[in-house]
Amino acid sequence: MKKAAAATPASVIDLRFGQVGLLQVRLREVDAPAIKAELAARIASAPQFFQHTGVCLDLSALEHPPEVATLRGIVEAIRLAGMITVGVSDASPTADQLAPALDLPVLAGFRQLSRPPAQLVRAAKAAAQPAPEAVSEPEPEIAPPPPTSGLVHTQPVRSGQRVYARERDLIVTAAVGAGAEVMADGCVHVYGTLRGRAMAGVRGDTNARLFCQEFRAELVAIAGVFRVFETLPEELAGHPVQAWLEGEALRFSRFGV
Amino acid sequence: MTEIIVVTSGKGGVGKTTTSASLACGLARTGKRVAVIDFDIGLRNLDLIMGCERRVVYDFVNVINGDCTLKQALIKDKRIDTLFVLAASQTRDKDALTAEGVRKVLDELIADGFDFILCDSPAGIEKGAHLAMYYADRAVVVVNPEVSSVRDSDRILGLLASKTERAEKGGTKVREHLLLTRYSPTRVAAGEMLSIADVKDILGLDVIGVIPESPQVLSASNAGTPVIMMDESDAAAAYGDAVARLLGDESLPMRFIDEPKKGFFARVFGG
Repeated sequence: MKKAAAATPASVIDLRFGQVGLLQVRLREVDAPAIKAELAARIASAPQFFQHTGVCLDLSALEHPPEVATLRGIVEAIRLAGMITVGVSDASPTADQLAPALDLPVLAGFRQLSRPPAQLVRAAKAAAQPAPEAVSEPEPEIAPPPPTSGLVHTQPVRSGQRVYARERDLIVTAAVGAGAEVMADGCVHVYGTLRGRAMAGVRGDTNARLFCQEFRAELVAIAGVFRVFETLPEELAGHPVQAWLEGEALRFSRFGV
Repeated sequence: MTEIIVVTSGKGGVGKTTTSASLACGLARTGKRVAVIDFDIGLRNLDLIMGCERRVVYDFVNVINGDCTLKQALIKDKRIDTLFVLAASQTRDKDALTAEGVRKVLDELIADGFDFILCDSPAGIEKGAHLAMYYADRAVVVVNPEVSSVRDSDRILGLLASKTERAEKGGTKVREHLLLTRYSPTRVAAGEMLSIADVKDILGLDVIGVIPESPQVLSASNAGTPVIMMDESDAAAAYGDAVARLLGDESLPMRFIDEPKKGFFARVFGG
């Protein structure tokens, strides 16, 4: 997942550019009290999941550039919600100007350029192919072409383990235990019981899907849109299920009905 | 050829030490030379269960630190000639164990010609538990039929597949076996306990033994006798079967897993 950009054998630190999971808060309005209220409501559904989570402010959906003071209010609202703002995304001139004023870095992510959604989807698809690197990889070294077949994992994924398929699908032919995580930039297939967490399209591919043989998941996420299952819906529990994104909404359906 | 077997579980209080003691006795009874090592530094219990707590002079940490020889620290069992106990230190903490130290002791036991080395793991997933499993060839994961124990066992199985010498060197993986303890067929039938099938299904492993819940386990512990030595006990018979399966007899049917049938008098007068 990470590539060393500069490291000598004797050095005491490694400098690495890497990708880490980060909760993105995309602002539609800059109304700090409303944001605070909505964050509190969302967090109440899964408090553990958000505690001390790093947050990246996504400004791409805002029509007008916000005031620095307004953004400070929002950062404070996020802090009060128990999360920590670690950066601003949306590599537009807006963010470039605002971020230093807030003492935050600009995080150029996968959705680096503010593009309309249709282009985003295409970019996500393109990530699966070697030719146009849509990802803003900072490392200049030549990356080998990503493997085209999925990552096949034949052992059970046990509680506490994490399996990630970078730039491809993940195929697990055994069970995924409660407290385990399976992640892929592409689709996730589980030919066993899925009791843990499954995340497809972790770098933003909204076309990624989740398929599993026996659905008992704790959490399902596709391209960052997630749902926590405190109780499993009767119609899904224990059945073969697929999940996909429709716009911003996660959809679930059973196979063979 | 020495086999190193770790007895582990993640969760505490599920019967690791009871199981280590009984498996060690059961294996030694067949004439194999067996050493059983307590890895629970600071909370030593195995010597109590084995009934040799008053004979502990030197312990595992002493051997690692070179305070004594391995021969001085090994306690020969009074019941079985081929069984030896290496007690944990009660006064040290788990940092006293090092990977090199453990390897050195294991190598010495292997050189001495032991057939089996049983490593009784402490609860948890920290250093003691990690070192107990690190050099294992096989693992007996002790699990109670309840959800938290099953969850912790799943975690331990994950560590066995990634944090052992075999996993790190990429050789053949550690052979894993499940051993269910405190199994109560009556409570399973009443839906109060997970069934064998549930546990097998969640963990995806076969079960090497099912030990029924039995008051004799506690009385054996208090008496310092491994429960496998208690004649006419269901738990002893079940441990005996588990030892046979560990030695390769896969044909043995599981016993004590069905609800006891009520006899005529029990049916008439209420059991």
